[in-house]
Amino acid sequence: MAAGRRSDLSSLAFTGGMSLLALLTLVLLVAPTLVVVIVSFTDGFSLKFPPPGYSLRWYRELIDASQLHFAAWNSVQVALITTLLSVLLGVSGALAIARSPAASARVLDSLFMSPLVLPALAFGFAALMTFSAVGWTVSTTTLVIGHTVVCVPYVIRTTTAALAQMDPALLESSASLGASRLYTFRRVTLPLIRPGVLAGGFIAFMSSFDNVPVSLFLRDARTDMLPIRMWQDLEGRLDVTIAALSSVIVIVTLLMMVVMERAVGLSRRLRQ
Amino acid sequence: MNPTLPVTAYPLRLAAPLAGFMVLFFVAPMLMLLWVSGYADPGMTQWGSLASWAKMFDAFGLGVLADTLWLGVQVTLLSLVLGYALAWTYLRLPPRLQPLVIFIVMLPLLTSVVVRTFAWIVILGRQGIVNAALLDLGWIDEPLKLLYTRSGLVVALANVQLPLMVLPLITALQRIDPNLADASASLGAGAWRTFLRVTVPLSLPGVVAGCLLTFAAAITAFISQSLIGGGQMLFMPMYLYQQASSLSNYPFAAAIGLTFLVAVLVCVSAFNALGRLSRGYAAA
Amino acid sequence: MNQRRRLLQSSLALGALHLFPQLSMAQAKRLVFATFTGSWEEAHRAVLVPAFRKANGNAEITLDPMLSVDQIAKVTAARNNPPIDVMLHDPGPALTAIGQDLVEPFPAAQSQHFKDLLPEAQEVTGPAIFFQVVGLTYNPEKIKTPPTSWRDLWKPEFKGRVGITTLNSTLGTGWLVEVAKMFGGSESNVEPGFKAINDLKPNLAAVASNPGALAALFQQGQIDISPGNFNAIQILKARGVPVEFVSPKEGAIAFKTTIHIVKNTPNKALAAALIEAAMSPEVQTQLMQSPYLIVPTNSKVKMEGEIAKVLAKDQAEMKQRFVFQDWKKINEQRASWIERFNREVRV
Repeated sequence: MAAGRRSDLSSLAFTGGMSLLALLTLVLLVAPTLVVVIVSFTDGFSLKFPPPGYSLRWYRELIDASQLHFAAWNSVQVALITTLLSVLLGVSGALAIARSPAASARVLDSLFMSPLVLPALAFGFAALMTFSAVGWTVSTTTLVIGHTVVCVPYVIRTTTAALAQMDPALLESSASLGASRLYTFRRVTLPLIRPGVLAGGFIAFMSSFDNVPVSLFLRDARTDMLPIRMWQDLEGRLDVTIAALSSVIVIVTLLMMVVMERAVGLSRRLRQ
Repeated sequence: MNPTLPVTAYPLRLAAPLAGFMVLFFVAPMLMLLWVSGYADPGMTQWGSLASWAKMFDAFGLGVLADTLWLGVQVTLLSLVLGYALAWTYLRLPPRLQPLVIFIVMLPLLTSVVVRTFAWIVILGRQGIVNAALLDLGWIDEPLKLLYTRSGLVVALANVQLPLMVLPLITALQRIDPNLADASASLGAGAWRTFLRVTVPLSLPGVVAGCLLTFAAAITAFISQSLIGGGQMLFMPMYLYQQASSLSNYPFAAAIGLTFLVAVLVCVSAFNALGRLSRGYAAA
Repeated sequence: MNQRRRLLQSSLALGALHLFPQLSMAQAKRLVFATFTGSWEEAHRAVLVPAFRKANGNAEITLDPMLSVDQIAKVTAARNNPPIDVMLHDPGPALTAIGQDLVEPFPAAQSQHFKDLLPEAQEVTGPAIFFQVVGLTYNPEKIKTPPTSWRDLWKPEFKGRVGITTLNSTLGTGWLVEVAKMFGGSESNVEPGFKAINDLKPNLAAVASNPGALAALFQQGQIDISPGNFNAIQILKARGVPVEFVSPKEGAIAFKTTIHIVKNTPNKALAAALIEAAMSPEVQTQLMQSPYLIVPTNSKVKMEGEIAKVLAKDQAEMKQRFVFQDWKKINEQRASWIERFNREVRV
């Protein structure tokens, strides 16, 4: 009984300590986003917190910021095409290696997933040199190719996870009932892995939209990308318009996240 | 269709488009990097020299590399402490609150790194929150210099990369059988002891996974390093970018890039090996 | 009324094409103008871009702000298909660009405004469209007695409050040369300058990657004194940021800034049109007003207002009061200085 008493107190202290630290961590996670949103409503010219006054002026500036619109539109276009390409390539790749008994499948798996951990900056630079060497000038095409290399692993990861969770018995019974491979794929596999594919596609889209290291090298002023434009503006001017833009981006991302959570259970798939 | 292939698998041929794509646009550039690093001068006229490599491995270059790796270690450790506390507490939260916490963790992951880093400029700046709070509380008279300092950079980076640490930790902690903790408590072990002797070892695979992702992200975090670290701190990503973009010294930049790649590969392999060991340990 | 305007626009466009018969109608690519970062970008975006678009049928133009040296790097890397159509250069990089055959001569014969420029500004390789002036910039709220000399930056009371830029910018390099001169060196010997920067380290609060970033540092209160561009602080002042400019007693440094058409650009006609707009008295007068306060080069523009008060009443006086540097000598060693600076100025 005495031992039980002791462990009660110590466990309380322990839980209390951990919870406090966890709360601090949560605050640290949320604070930056909140701060950016609040500061974007300042009526002054600097990023002082708390702001001296509030106004919508920087959002009005945002409406006029044609160069930012141009960059944003470029980023969206590139991200859309990248996502499409990543899904096509990634799903076919994942299908091939997910349940393959061959040893080469493991090798292929490492190859496909390696862009995730290797420094994208080095890759971006390498890609630029390669394209220059064969005479391809920087364009939307080179951007899409570069982005796809670093985004396709996300699609592969979620698709593979979805395939792994699929009960093989379903496939076997479909085959034993006489369905062709293609039919089984269309009617059984695809619907079951669709949420995983969509989740992977979403992450690939966001990853391409936010991408900096590859875009740094594979773009020029005519194919300006939003994160790069924002970074350059921050380095050069520390314009509060960027704060307004950031809030908009955060809100839109949040909305899309909610939609994806409802549709495909995004949070579950991110943890795999 | 291959008749001997089990019906649940697909022909390896399906991976051909992706494999071709990766070979052309990933492997080839890496080889290109190797090729270009063989030039001695920025004008790229004499091939077959190790001059660019020598430049990378002189005292200065090695210093930059070491500093970058050390930054990764510092950031990972801080992230680990904070992230573990969050993951541990998450599992004890009522189910209604859990999705909210996951969302808070996920949002930074999907937001642009420029936005996240920019927020830290506002927090750490001379007119930022931390200084404003400290001044209000009367703890300091003059604003502190937090921006462009090593500690400021470590704190900001640890936070920017925190989701990468928390998510694998949650997954790993969830897999631990709760009965084990109960058993440990009923045998008389205090909360700390249970934590250190039971929970932590069993969660080791998740710890390793989280550390790997955080470490890799922290050392390649070009934007955060330059916006918060400022012009006086030089790390590998900026070193590469300076040489490639401003100075157009492609051979040297290629040497830097390859060194960086190899360094990350070595670290990742080390982590993976640790991961395999810890899985064995956790299963035992 | 609308029809008349459209007729006017199209006839202007046709007229422009007439000047450059090689150009085909199909060139609808965006014009890319590499202006300088910071206050220059703001000024050009607010004044030059609208003027250019009005005169050229709403032609699409993108500003790609970057330092002079970076412009050279980008164009050299892709000579045959340059990512920039119009470059803006400080004296040093201008010499490099011309020397490396990166510029297309400006068609001065067909230009309306070229002959109105000051004689020094009339360069066929690329006319000068403004002068930059570099002196001491400081926060008058934190620093009560205005500084008078470059040496003031080393005063112990400024510990942790001084900002400088890297040598990638003309501001940084020009300042280094002046510091070297102050301690007995010259354009060919900057050793005393590097030593002085080493001694400055305890006072250094931040090293900005470009002059625009310096302005941002003032704005955020991270630095209180720095070598700086006259123009950069005007825009800050207009925003209520406490910052003042003062010419050091050693003499403010002046740089002639030239604008160039990039060789092999597909947008030659539009590029020339942009330069034309930049030389026009209307644009230069507007840029001379608050808050831009950019020193004009068109002789038809009378120097007035803040510029006449603080800098010089006319270009002749400017030549007397300001320091001009020998960029030919500086260019020879600049790359090695940049590398040395990057290595030595580390935390």
